[in-house]
Formats: sequence, structure tokens, C-alpha cells
Amino acid sequence: MPSTSPALTPGLSSFLKSLKSNPIDTSIENLISLLKRRQICHSRSCATATAYLLRSVVSLCRTSESSKLIERVQSVGRRLMAAQPREMVVGNIVRRVLGLIRDEAEDDRDAEFALSESESQPQTPRAFDDASLPLDRDSLALGAERSTRPPLTSMFSLLSHPEPEASLPSTPGSQSPGGHYSGNNFTKDLRAEVLEGINEIIDELGQVDEQISNYALEHIHSNEIILTHTSSTTVQKFLLRAATKRKFTVVHAESYPNNHEVTHATVSGTRPDDDELLSFESFQKPLIAHGITVILIPDSAVFALMSRVNKVILGTHSVLANGGLVAAAGTRVIARAAKVHQTPVVVVSGVYKLSPVYPFDFDSLIEYGDASKVLPYEDGDLVEKIDVQNPLYDYVPAELVDLYITNLGGHAPSYLYRIVSDHYRKEDISF
Amino acid sequence: MADSVKPDLTSLSTTAPSQAPPNPVPETSPSQSLPIRDSNSAKQPAQSEKGSSKPKDAPAASSTGGDGASDKPLTPAQLKAKAKAEKAARRAKEKADRDGGAGAAGGSAPDAGSQQSRPPNTPKKDVASGGASQKGPKGAPPRRGSGPVTQASAAEPKKKKEDKSVSVFSHLYGQQRRTTVNGAAKEVHPAVLALGLQLRDYVVCGSSARCVATLLAFKRVIESYTTPLGTSLARHLTTHLSHQISYLSTCRPLAVSQGNAIRALKLAIAGIDPSTPESSAKATLCDFIDNFIREKITVADQVIAGSAVEKIENGDVIVTFAGSNIVKQTLLQAHKEGKRFRVSIIDSRPLFEGKSLARALANAGLDVQYSLVHAISHAIKDATKVFLGAHGMTSNGRLYSRVGTALVAMSAKERAGGVEVPVIVCCETIKFSDRVALDSIVVNEIADADELVPANPPQQVTGLPDPAAFTTPPVEPKKGGKGASAAPTADTSASTRTPSPSPLANWKDTPHLQLLNIMYDVTPAEYVDMVITEMGSLPPSAVPIVHRMSTNI
Repeated sequence: MPSTSPALTPGLSSFLKSLKSNPIDTSIENLISLLKRRQICHSRSCATATAYLLRSVVSLCRTSESSKLIERVQSVGRRLMAAQPREMVVGNIVRRVLGLIRDEAEDDRDAEFALSESESQPQTPRAFDDASLPLDRDSLALGAERSTRPPLTSMFSLLSHPEPEASLPSTPGSQSPGGHYSGNNFTKDLRAEVLEGINEIIDELGQVDEQISNYALEHIHSNEIILTHTSSTTVQKFLLRAATKRKFTVVHAESYPNNHEVTHATVSGTRPDDDELLSFESFQKPLIAHGITVILIPDSAVFALMSRVNKVILGTHSVLANGGLVAAAGTRVIARAAKVHQTPVVVVSGVYKLSPVYPFDFDSLIEYGDASKVLPYEDGDLVEKIDVQNPLYDYVPAELVDLYITNLGGHAPSYLYRIVSDHYRKEDISF
Repeated sequence: MADSVKPDLTSLSTTAPSQAPPNPVPETSPSQSLPIRDSNSAKQPAQSEKGSSKPKDAPAASSTGGDGASDKPLTPAQLKAKAKAEKAARRAKEKADRDGGAGAAGGSAPDAGSQQSRPPNTPKKDVASGGASQKGPKGAPPRRGSGPVTQASAAEPKKKKEDKSVSVFSHLYGQQRRTTVNGAAKEVHPAVLALGLQLRDYVVCGSSARCVATLLAFKRVIESYTTPLGTSLARHLTTHLSHQISYLSTCRPLAVSQGNAIRALKLAIAGIDPSTPESSAKATLCDFIDNFIREKITVADQVIAGSAVEKIENGDVIVTFAGSNIVKQTLLQAHKEGKRFRVSIIDSRPLFEGKSLARALANAGLDVQYSLVHAISHAIKDATKVFLGAHGMTSNGRLYSRVGTALVAMSAKERAGGVEVPVIVCCETIKFSDRVALDSIVVNEIADADELVPANPPQQVTGLPDPAAFTTPPVEPKKGGKGASAAPTADTSASTRTPSPSPLANWKDTPHLQLLNIMYDVTPAEYVDMVITEMGSLPPSAVPIVHRMSTNI
């Protein structure tokens, strides 16, 4: 799975490079196939790729109306999500972009509504004067230096407000010239603002680990024994931040067979130059370089050591709205063992991993991986006779998690639904 | 399996610089250069002792850190001194024994003397001195030579640096596993010598198998035993056996069952009337051993399998962990009786004992599913019963078994919906112990951490040159040699681009990095619903009673 020669393997960086030169449809196809082939597979890489792609989609979308923009983003988003339904971050990013568009559209509508409210008194008598309306509108708009104001009467605004998408196409013919004109302006503005919002999302993806690690000192204290699992960058950065001030011990379960190589590299400080991760942490010093004792254990020894562990810090693949999470296989037993030993379980995760989807069938979230990692080719004779299973993910129910730390701060699992509703609009949850 | 790949690797290593095998050889030398070279050059042992004890002091002080420092200042100092003296005496005795046996007596007598006179002997240093003394008079050169040979199994125990022992488990690091038969006392019987190495390499693995093998080896010892003049069999045979036992325990700590069997055997020896002629006494003892094996293990297994089979019903999905012989027997017997069920085997690194169980069951035609520890929660999802083997049962009803067992038992008890999967332990009463343990740290066995370092990547199977080798700058061979402790990050890009050498290959040179490879864990009694023994099916709380009954016979 780890790309042996970054130059040859397509991945996030090659995709981002090609994004500028390729036509947008090629890029979409490209990302879809990358997702399908698992050549982009980390949550953050998927999120970054999606965000960049949507930025291109939005900037190249020469549509004049927010509804068209939404439709376009939705159609691209659907295809991306269909490519890899278990990478829920793709859907999350799409939903956030959709939410951005809707927000901007509504803000504009609100602004214009407020504007038309304030200006509606003098206008109302003339609102039915068809002939003079466009001219008046132009002069008014110029005078007010507000280009976003469509030539609607207050009554129209009132009616259109609840249904912003529907209102624009259904503008009466008599007012269409003016409406069209200002609508153009308005979407240009809207697109710029949406692009700005997407850039913010991209920035957030880049900074999220730093933001999360800012909370590290609150949670890790001197001489604690911290248990973690797999080689999550977020967790590593979290621990590294704490390591600058405190001395503690890290017990690292290696997550054999799916991620042990990276984990070994992480603990020994030989981070692989996986091109997807290159930009983020290749220059990072390992924990051991900070004088932190790192004890690498096989996954089976988790229960044996749990009685000495003060805190379990876990990374995750994605977080569900109910507070449960989908994380690397083996996480569930670790969380359970921690519960049994009354050890607090802290999950660090960017908000972008927080998915509004509540899947009732948890098995559908679990992806199964390469069986040859469990039973190597040397035992090929066995493979024919027995059923080898290699699940990649575990569903961890919310009751096994004590605390979530996101880039917004620490939350109880029961509070996550609130963050979900802050970040996603309910009309986008199932699009 | 590793052996079969080996020729390819070595031949390849000349072309591709990134092979696993050539690396560890030079890599060991810098890490251990001081002690080894000293003891190497030291045909005069006194010098070796001085040379090796000096580097020992410094790391011990730094590594034990809190423990040592907190223990030292107050009255415990006296205790400690006493313990030290005892330990030194014991070691000296061992040493004397060994030297007497090894034949190179002339050079080693002062060695023992110097060791005895060396007072600072904390448990930490014990590791090192154990290693040093194991090497014996001319231990080092053959040990070095044996390195590459045993490397194929990746189970070659290296000398541990003080630094690398996990502090929570420091009480378990006391003994370094023996690497060769070198330095074994002359009393040690060849059968026992061989068995020791088999135990160490997990050729003989599993509590019952180790117990049976030990008893059979002791039977041969007794058969070839002649009572020296001036003493009686009952008196001398026990000490003779204790040489064998102490040798075995340096190869691998004794299993609970081994301990119980040895205790019973010693009791039998002590019970022999001194007036009985030697031949008949030996015959009695051999009979005793045969009976013991039959009674406590062979027949016991049959009885256990018989009653465990009754617990299996048609349509069951049975989860088991690693490879237990008694569980295998049970499942095979149930299959033979025509029961239709599925088996899900959960296996773990580094021993992969479940693989042979899976092979045996699959060959017998059972429906087998195989996965590793990370998939426990998936495997347990549709389980109806969990069958576990045991290494031992502690007196407080806890199950002491291969590490990971506790996770399986716990998962069986946590299933959502409140339906708990019954956890059934199959265990002969000989595995019952009078020790108690609250957690897995009290009682455990530390295996060589190098077993955790992935040996050879599966990419090498074809013997074709690794594509990644072309992209690798030829830094690789140097990397091992220069002992990357100085600049581990400098080598990183090179070492990870090629999958061949594990990033952990030189973990011993990496400061602050520790690997922990424990063998067992302790499963809380509340996770165990039933213990099936040859004396019936019991709750775990009945373990101490049964243990008393079975030992008091």
C-alpha cells in the first residue's frame, strides 16, 4: 500500500499538480479513479483532494445562479462519493462546500432583503411602473454602491426568501432584464466568496493538526503513560506538542498487519516519505528525539499493559454524528480494554472528519483489505482452504469514547451532533 | 518458511544493497562492541569482568532512573545489600558449576572469584552479568558465529542493553535467554541440552508439550543415571535433576505445568526408600513419569476434549485464539462426531501459532476463518462460543494464557445487545498454579523483542530484484555498519524507500525506543464462564480447590 517510489505512483501530490493543467472533467475522473484505486486513502488526503477539486469546479463553473452552482457541486460530489463511499470525508467536504454556497446565497439574499426593506418605501409606489424600473434600478444600485440587489419589490423578496433557489428562475418576465443583470453580479460575488470559503477549508485542512495539538498540554501531564495505536499524524503531532514541555511515556500498539510498517517507521523516527504526507510532516522529529520513551508493543499486548496506562489517545478515520467513530481495525478492542480498566479514551480528530451521516448498518462502513497481509504468500496452500479476513476499520461506539478533541476544542461524544449541525446544513445531509 | 527464502536473499544481497540479512550482522557489533570485544580479547577473565562491568554501571544507573534512585537512600539499602550478596553467591555457585562442567576450569576459577567479589549487583546488572556469565570462558566467539545461523528464524536472542528494558516489566527481565549450549554444566544430559534449545526456539511450544517433553527428557536422564558412591539415589538424583532444571530455565522460563510436573517428580524421588536397589528405583521413577504423563496429560486431554465436545452444537461459530493443542483436539473430535460448526481462529504476532491450528483444522475439512488480533471485534460478532487454551490458571481464578487471550475474552463479553458469548477454557489441572496475579505485569515472561522486528518482507519471494532497489542510493550497506544512533534521521529516506530493512532493524541503537514482547496476559476471572478440566467443568473460582486436591493426592 505505501507507495514505494513516489515519482511513479499517482497520489495526492500528482493529482494536485495535474489539477491546474488538466481540464476539469479530466481532473474529476482522475480523482474518482484515484479514490477507487485507493491511491489517495488517508482521510486528510482525500479531504484535501476533494477541496482542491471543488475549488476548481466552482471557479470554472460559469453559471450565473447559485442553484446551478449547487447542482454542479452536487453532481460532482455524488460521483466522488460513489467512487469511495467509505471515505466519508469526501462527502463531508462536499457538504461543507454546498453549505458555503447556500450560506453565501442566503447572506446575499438577506443583505439584499434588508436593503430592499430599507429602500422599499420609496420604491413601492414605483414597483408596478414597468417601464421605469430598470433604469431606476440601475441608478439606485449605482448610487447605493450595492450591485447585489436584484430588482425585486419587497413583496417579491418576502415570497422568494424562503425558497432562494426557486425564486431566481421564476422571476416574472417583466423584471427579467434587471433581474438577470444584477443576478450576474451577485453570482460573481457569490462565487468569489465561495472560493474564499473553500480556501478557508483548505487552510483548515492544513492547520488542523496544529490546532488540535494546541490542546495537548491540557491533556497530557508529566510522567503519564499514553497508549496509542497506528501512525496517525494528528496523534503524533498532539504528542509531539506535549513532548516539548512534558516528559511522558508512549506505548504504541503497532496495528499489524495494515499499518505496522508506517507505525514502526513513526516510532523509530524513520518516517516514510510517502508523497501524500510529504508536505505535512516529513520534517517532523520523532517523539524519541524529544526524549520521550516510546514502547512498541504488538496489538495483542494491549490488555496486558492497559492497567498501567493513564490515557488512550486514538486517531480516527471518520467520526459519526452519534459520537461513534470509524477507525483503524483494532481500535475497538483497545477502547474496550481501556473502558474495562477505567482508562480515559481521547479521540483526536479534525472537524472535517466529522460526518453528518448516521449509518444504521455499521457493517457497511467497514472496508476489508488485502488478505495476503494476514496470511502471506508463503502460506498459499492455506489460503485455498480457509477464509482469511482483514478488516481495515472498526466501528467504535460512542460509549467507549470519553472525549473528542477537535480543532474547535474538547467535546463530549454526546455534543458532537451540535458541531455537526454547525458545520453542515440539513438539506445537504443526504444529497 | 523463512529458511526456504533464505538462499534467494543472500544471493540477492550482493546485488541489491537493501537486504535484511546482511544488515543485522554488522549492526550487532557496534551496539555491543564494548562488552563483546572485551570478553573476546579477554582470555584472562578478570580483565573481561572489569571491562564489561564498567559500561554496565553507567547505563544501569541512567536507565533504572527512578526505581534505583528511590530504592537506594534509606533502609532498603541494607535489604538490597543482602539481596546482592545472595545473588552474588548464587551466581558464583552457578558459575562454579558451569565452569566445572565446561572443562575450561583453569581460566574461569578467578572469574568466579572476581564475580563474587563484585558487590554492586542490582537486578538490572543481573541481565548483563547473566549474559556475560553465560558466555562462559570462551562464550563469545561461538556466539557470534551462531548469530547468522539462527538469524533465519529471527529468534536469535541478542544481548539486551540495559536501556531497552521496559521499566514496568523490569522485574521480569532478570534472565537473558541462553543462546547456545555453551557453558552448560557437565551434568546436563544431552537430551536436556537439545530440549533446552527446542524450548528456546519455540520448536517445543505450548504448556503441555513443554511439560511432556521435559518429563520425557528427565526419563532419559534417570535411565542413564548412576548413583555416585557414598550417596543415595533419593538424595543425589534431586540435585542432579536440579542441574537439568536450571539449564532448562535459562533457555526459557519454566511453564506452570513444567513446574508442577517437576515438583511431583521430586516428590516421587524423595519418596523412594533409600534401601531400594538403584535399578528398581529407576524403574519406579520411569513408571511414575509414564503414568504422570498419561494421567495428567494424555488421558486428561481426552477427557477434556470429550466433555468440551459436548458443549459444541450444530451451527456453532467457535472463536479460538492462537493455537491450543487441547482446543485443536476438541474441535477435531467434534468434527469427527459429525457436528457441523464453523471455527474462527484469531492469531497474533509474532508466533502465529494459530496458523498451524488453521492448517490442521482445514486439512481435516473444517470450515475455518482466520484473522489477526486487529479483527477480534469482527470475528466475535457472529460467534456463539469462545474456546480458549491455557498456559495456566492462577489461584484467584484468572486465566494465564498467550498474550491477546484477554482481548478475545473481553470482546466476547462486550457484544452489543447484551448477548454474551460463553467463554470456555480447556485446561488440564496440571496447569493450575498456586500463584495469584491481578494483572499481567505481576507474572509474565518477556520474550526476545527482536522477534517483533519483521524479518523479511514478502516482496522477496520471487527472488526478482526489488524494483525499489533501483531508486535507492547505495547508502544501505553503510547504514548498518556505522550504527545509526548518531543520525537516525539521516538514513531514514534511504531505509524506508526500500521495504526490505525494517525501520526497527536497529532499534537497539535508537535511543528511547523500546520494544516489548511479552508472552502472556492474565484474563480476569469474570470473563471466563467455565474451565473444563479432567476433573470436571468448573467455574474459575474453583481453581484453587482443585489445585489443592490434585497436588495433595
